[in-house]
Parts: sequence; structure tokens; C-alpha cells
Amino acid sequence: MGNKDLYRHDVIVVGGGLAGLRAAVEACDRGADTAVLSKVYPLRSHSVAAQGGINAALGNSPAAKDDNWEKHAFDTIKGSVYLADQDAVEILCREAPGAVFELEHWGTVFSRDDHGRLAQRPFGGADVPRTCYAADRTGHNLLNTLFEQAASRGIRFYNEFFVTSLVVDEETCRGCIALDILSGNLHGFSSKSLVLATGGYGMIYDHSTNSLINTADGMALAYSAGAKLKDMEFVQFHPTTLSGSNILISEGARGEGAYLVNSEGDRFMAKYAPQAEELAPRDIVARSIMKEIQAGLGFDGGCVHLDLRHLGAEKIRERLPGIRQIAMDFADLDPVEQPIPVQPGQHYSMGGIDVSPDGETGIRGLFAVGECACISVHGANRLGGNSLLDTLVFGRRVGDKAFNESHDEAAPVVEAALNREIKRLDELFSSRGESFASLMREMKKTMFESFGIFRDENNMQEGLGSLNELGKKFEGAAVNSARKIFCQSLVRTLELGFMLDIAGAVALSALWRKESRGSHYRTDWPDRDDDRYLKHTLISKTDGQKPAIEYSPVKLGLFPVKEDGY
Amino acid sequence: MIIRIHRGKGGKYDDFDIEAAEGMTVLDLLFYIQENVDPSLAFRYSCRGAACGSCAVLANGLPVLACKTPLSKLTKPAENGQVFLPVSAEIPGGGILLEPAPYLPVIRDLVVDWEPFFEKYRKLEPVLKAGGETPEKEYIVGHDESREMEKYTNCILCALCWSACPIVAGVEGYPGPAALAKLFRFYLDPRESGDIDRLSIADNESGWWACDFYTNCKKVCPKGVPPNVAIGRARKLLKDKEEGK
Ligand SMILES: Cc1cc2nc3c(=O)[nH]c(=O)nc-3n(C[C@H](O)[C@H](O)[C@H](O)COP(=O)(O)OP(=O)(O)OC[C@H]3O[C@@H](n4cnc5c(N)ncnc54)[C@H](O)[C@@H]3O)c2cc1C
Ligand code: SF4
Ligand code: FES
Repeated sequence: MGNKDLYRHDVIVVGGGLAGLRAAVEACDRGADTAVLSKVYPLRSHSVAAQGGINAALGNSPAAKDDNWEKHAFDTIKGSVYLADQDAVEILCREAPGAVFELEHWGTVFSRDDHGRLAQRPFGGADVPRTCYAADRTGHNLLNTLFEQAASRGIRFYNEFFVTSLVVDEETCRGCIALDILSGNLHGFSSKSLVLATGGYGMIYDHSTNSLINTADGMALAYSAGAKLKDMEFVQFHPTTLSGSNILISEGARGEGAYLVNSEGDRFMAKYAPQAEELAPRDIVARSIMKEIQAGLGFDGGCVHLDLRHLGAEKIRERLPGIRQIAMDFADLDPVEQPIPVQPGQHYSMGGIDVSPDGETGIRGLFAVGECACISVHGANRLGGNSLLDTLVFGRRVGDKAFNESHDEAAPVVEAALNREIKRLDELFSSRGESFASLMREMKKTMFESFGIFRDENNMQEGLGSLNELGKKFEGAAVNSARKIFCQSLVRTLELGFMLDIAGAVALSALWRKESRGSHYRTDWPDRDDDRYLKHTLISKTDGQKPAIEYSPVKLGLFPVKEDGY
Repeated sequence: MIIRIHRGKGGKYDDFDIEAAEGMTVLDLLFYIQENVDPSLAFRYSCRGAACGSCAVLANGLPVLACKTPLSKLTKPAENGQVFLPVSAEIPGGGILLEPAPYLPVIRDLVVDWEPFFEKYRKLEPVLKAGGETPEKEYIVGHDESREMEKYTNCILCALCWSACPIVAGVEGYPGPAALAKLFRFYLDPRESGDIDRLSIADNESGWWACDFYTNCKKVCPKGVPPNVAIGRARKLLKDKEEGK
């Protein structure tokens, strides 16, 4: 399967999305010999699909004149249902304007207001219009800019390299092993520090808005290497995804004034969130839609309608061209003339690798940032527009830290690990048996049904049982392809292994938390319980095998914990 | 329905007899085959929402994004303005022929090597070269200026226009429609330093002037980008300059 080429770099970043590229640019600017490994060409990373925008308290909108970082922080913490660490939120919100201006200076073509400044739109859970945007293709524009910056700096890119394992020795990360997908060869990478920026795990669920490559890889790599995962039970479901294909219809649509309507023609959000209505936080809107559907007030196919028509053709064409295009391409309708059928779908992973605000994982030389990490700034529920911000603000900080805290290389250790990995994959490669596809389908279904928008003990226990069964079956899973070059069935089998590991972590964490908070909603424990559960869930493989759960306190200090509604 | 797919590095095709489901896209179909019939099939994907530019293929001679193209579109009679490219095998009657996008080396099955496309893109130094002092906040940029740039920043670098362009096929060293559109986007950017002459970079026989305005680029672009307009405008600007206008 492999050859013995060993690559060396000071800083290795795994992931070519926004978080990875921002970290790489910083490490490179500080003087590190920096490399980015990405399983897809960086511009194909999931970040490219982000639509609605990025938050920063610039106060550009007339309705937000006295906006400031404290207000942004308050909205973020309230949205997180007080589970976010307030020291980290302070960093996020204080550094937000600088992070957005930096991308603007580097070339991002943001949408403008009448004064030529960055335009800002309202977004769910925010008090005032605070979300900067590039039409509804914000991620695409930011990612192109960062890629342009990274490529012009001489950062070394290993595109379509799939990291299969980390090399950890003496509690220090020494590098990683990666499969060159195009050639089918395995390579060792020796580094002084390694940053995981591998994004989310949407593919463990049926009905996800995520790119099909979001398969939990980095979280599983860190988990297996002994790092802790934090708050894994918090899974964001986006209220408005295109019925069927679950392609996202951005919150930007509701920000611009779109209505949610049931089959009786009622704007039902007024019932559930009298003040915020359509712009209540995502978890509330998602549950409200599900309740309407369950009450028989949905449309065929289990959906409600998102109605843009009253906004008028001009506004729709100008402000929401991407959404209009998506509706035309993937639902064969024009939202200027017809409402869009929408249903909730898995969208974002609030939980992730437990890290400090500088991305430290507890394993020396191993850092994590972006959606695969949990700092935590999103707590029980992320606000729209805060996760692109998270990737930039903390990407920079973690790139800096990875440069400063580098460790000695240990090339022989990496080489030995490479030999073991060659053997492991050779065996997997030549195996014949049940393929990944049926196991994957079963996992997705189990996760959506048992660990979805509404949860309860019985259902979750049953789901956990199914996951354990699937884990056993996976041991006999086979690649069933004799072609080494671009062997997707090998990659997808390895991805399934990662996903099953992480699905298990989500399941155990969700069972542990016997309360409802933000996105984690238990019908058997419908109330929030600060006395017992105002704390982070941590899960790790203590003896390298069986996962164990512990908890850690939430860092408060800026704002007192309150009961509040929307 | 017979689905004929290019396999290996060249010349070989496999037929699959598939019961296509209502509303299935080309990408859905490829996944169906990989997951249920032949796990060794190779193709690229990521976003499945026409945003990432991974999945360009040639389907019944049409250069398309697999994720955005319903099978029904391929078996319907040709529409006005569609660009059909030469195919290398027979299209099965009532069925679908899938081939890798042309003018890029084939790696395997439907996967091509993007390097020639991106090499040309990199050569034009696609990165903002801002001039003067960096403002404390954002640069001030007008609505109209930013909207004009947007036409070109919408490009997802999927390389469909490259595959559909007869000049790419015929003129050695031609950067291709997407790279030229990108160059023009930086020319338009009011934040760029006045010292940089972006247009002159491609002011030669194999650059702006190689285009013959087939406009295949615009016709096949899944994001409505008009590289032909960028090229036309660049040429006019260069001509005006030469004539001292
Ligand atoms: C449809 C959609 C719209 C969104 N819109 C918004 C929005 O408007 N505003 C907002 O703030 N947030 C939004 N989000 C969330 C936001 O887009 C993501 O959280 C963010 O882009 C994640 O960035 P990242 O850099 O952490 O990861 P990603 O962009 O997912 O990048 C992960 C990278 O890791 C690489 N990788 C993964 N595994 C491996 C491996 N094993 N080996 C090598 N490389 C690997 C991948 O190739 C990729 O380059 C949206 C999310 C979705 C699903
Ligand atoms: S201009 Fe259009 S067709 Fe060409 S690469 Fe860009 S998005 Fe693709
Ligand atoms: S899969 Fe992203 S464009 Fe088709």
C-alpha cells in the first residue's frame, strides 16, 4: 500500500477550510515551514457552502449604531443557554471586527451599504443587524480570499491527502499518516506541531445540510489519540432545509423578512416565540416546525413553507440570489412566485475536541480549531454567523500558538507508525465482505431517529444498542475494490469508522445529560436544570477503549446566568 | 435505463442497467452505483449543492455539474443555447453516457487532474495587491463596484468552461475563461494598488486576444459567470489605451 517517503514540516495543518487556512497563514507569517493537508482540494471544503454571513459588532447599520462587543457577547451567551465559556466568548466578540476587516483588506468582496461600508443584516438570536455578508455566498467569498492569501505565501499544500491516523508518543503528537488518494500510497508526516481543522460530522445523520465529506475525521483522530471531546450532545438542527435534499436555505431569508407558514396558511412562529417570531434561535424554530408537522399541519413530504413572495422580486434577486438559485436548481421552483418547502435538518456540531482558547488539546503538540473543536463559544446552541467568525478568530490564535509551542521532531517514531499503518490498510484493502454502504445508512437513520430534534431515554438506549451492533459489524467491513488509485471505497470505509466512533460519543453524552438545554431537547426531561447540568460534558477513551464521561465547570464572569425567553 | 460510464484511464466503458428514481441527479446516480453495484467506481464530490466545484462531468456530451443535473434533463430533447461537446463512445438509446470533463488528463473513471487548469490560474497571481495605507476599518467600496466584481467572484473554479472552450483546446498557453475572468475581477477591484497593470499580464496573442467569442464559457457556467464579457471589456480597455483615449 505504501512507500516510505517521509515529509517534514514545522507546522502541519490538517484541513483546508477557513479554520485550517487561517491557522496556516498565521503560522507561516510567524516564520514556520507550514503545510496544509486536505482530503479535498481546499476550495472544495465545506466552508465554501456557508451562505448567510459572519458576525461582528461594527455598528454600520442605522439600527445598530451603538452596537459593541459586549452586546454581541451577551447575545452569544444567551443563545448558548449559558453553556459557552465567557472568557472565550469575550475573545470571539472583541476580535470579531478585526477578523472581518482583515479579510476585507485581503480582498473579500463583501456586500456594501449606501456609504460603501460593509452592509450588515439581522440574523436569528441577535439584537441588532450585526451580520456582514457577501450576498448569500459568504463562505465561498471568504474561502477564496483565504486560499488566495495562503497560496501566495508559499504554504505547502498536499491536496487530496487523507489523514488516517495521528502519531502520538510520550503524550506528544509527532505527526500523522496520510493516504495520497490520487496514487493510493501512504506517507508519514513528521511535525513539530499539528493542527486539526477538519470540520464537522454532519454525515453521521440522515437529513444534513453538510457537505458529504463532513465525516468527523479530526474528532475521531483526536479521540483515538486520547484527547477529550466536549459537549458532544449538542447538535444543531437548522429549521429551514430544502425538503428532500436538505440543502440549506439560509437564515438570511428570514433575516430579510421571509415567513414560515403551515398548511392552514398561518404564520405559526408567533405561537412559539411571540417576540422574535421567525428570528428566534434555531433550536426553537426547528422544534416549532416539527411540532406543526407532527400536529398534522405540515405539507406532503413532512415540511412547511418558507414564503418570500411578499419581499418582492427585486429584493429577492438582489439580496438572496443564491437561495433563489438553489430553489430553482434543486426544487424546480422560483421563490418569487412560489413558497419553498422546508424541513429541519442536522446543521452544525457545537461539540468537538476539548480545547483551550489557544486550541490546546491536552496532548502536547496537538491543536484543534474550527468546527471540529469546542472552545466553547457556542454552548448549547450556536448563533448563525458566529461559526465563520469562530474559524477566523481562533484560526489566527491557534496558528500562532502552534508556531510558538512546537516540539522536537521524532521522525523514527513516525516511520514506525507508517509501517504499522501500511500493514493495517493492506489488510483492510484486501478484505472482502459487507461494504460500508449498508452500515452507513443504518447509522444515519439511527442517529436521526434516536438522537435527533426530540430525544428520550428509551429511544436513545435503543439507538445506542443499534450503534453498538453496527460497531461490531464494522469490524468485518470490506473495501471490495482492487483499484488503489483514487480508491473511494477505502476512504469511505475509513470515514465510516470515524463516524461510528463519534456517533457513539454523541449518544453517550446525550444520555448523560438529563435536562433540556438549547439544541439538546429531551421530552422526558423537558426543563433546563442549572443546578445539576450547568457544566460541560467531557468524554474520552480512558484506557484507550471504553469511553468514560466526566464534566467540567462553565467559565462565567461576564454576564449572570438568567432564565430568559425569546 | 442503461448508464454507460467511462472506466480506468481511457477507452474503456462499463454499462449499468439502473432503475432511475424520480428526481435523481447524476451525482445521486453515481452514489447509487458505487454503494450498490460497483464500489470501485471513482468520481469527485463534496457539497452536492453546486457550491464547491468538485463534480464536473460530461453527460451525454453536455458539460455539467453532476450534483445539479437531474437525469431527466439529459434524456429530454436538446434546448436552445446548450453546448454539446464531442463524445468518445456511443450514447446508449434512451440512456446516459458519463465521461470525464475534456482537456484535463484523466486519473481514473470520471476523475481528472485539475493541475493544468489551476496552473494557469496561479500564473495570473490571483491575490489582491492593495495599494497605499491599509485603513483602520474597511475600505470604502461602492455598491456598483462591488456588484460588478461579484459577477466574477461567483466563479467556483469548477473548470467546466475550460472543458467547453475551443481556444483552450487549440491555443497553447491560453489561460482559459475562468482564469481570465479572475484576472479581470482583480483589475476591477478599487482596492488594488494603482501601480499594478493587471490587464497587461494577458495582453498577448495567447491571452485576451486569443478568444474568438464562441461564448461557450458563459453558456456552460453553472454560476452565471460571463468570462466572455470580462475578455471583451479587457480588450476594449486595452485598445482605448493604445489609441490614447
Ligand atoms: C450549508 C451551511 C451553511 C452555513 N452557513 C454559515 C453562515 O452563514 N455563517 C456561519 O457563521 N456559519 C455557517 N455555517 C457553518 C460553517 O460553514 C462551518 O462551521 C465552517 O465553515 C467550518 O469551517 P472549518 O474550517 O472548521 O471546516 P471545513 O470548512 O469543513 O473544512 C474541513 C477541512 O478538513 C479537511 N479534512 C477533513 N477530514 C480530513 C482528513 N481525514 N484528512 C485530511 N483532511 C481532512 C477537509 O478536506 C476540509 O478541507 C454553515 C454551515 C452549513 C452546513
Ligand atoms: S467561470 Fe463558471 S464554468 Fe468557469 S470555472 Fe468559473 S464557475 Fe466554472
Ligand atoms: S458536489 Fe459541489 S458542486 Fe457538485
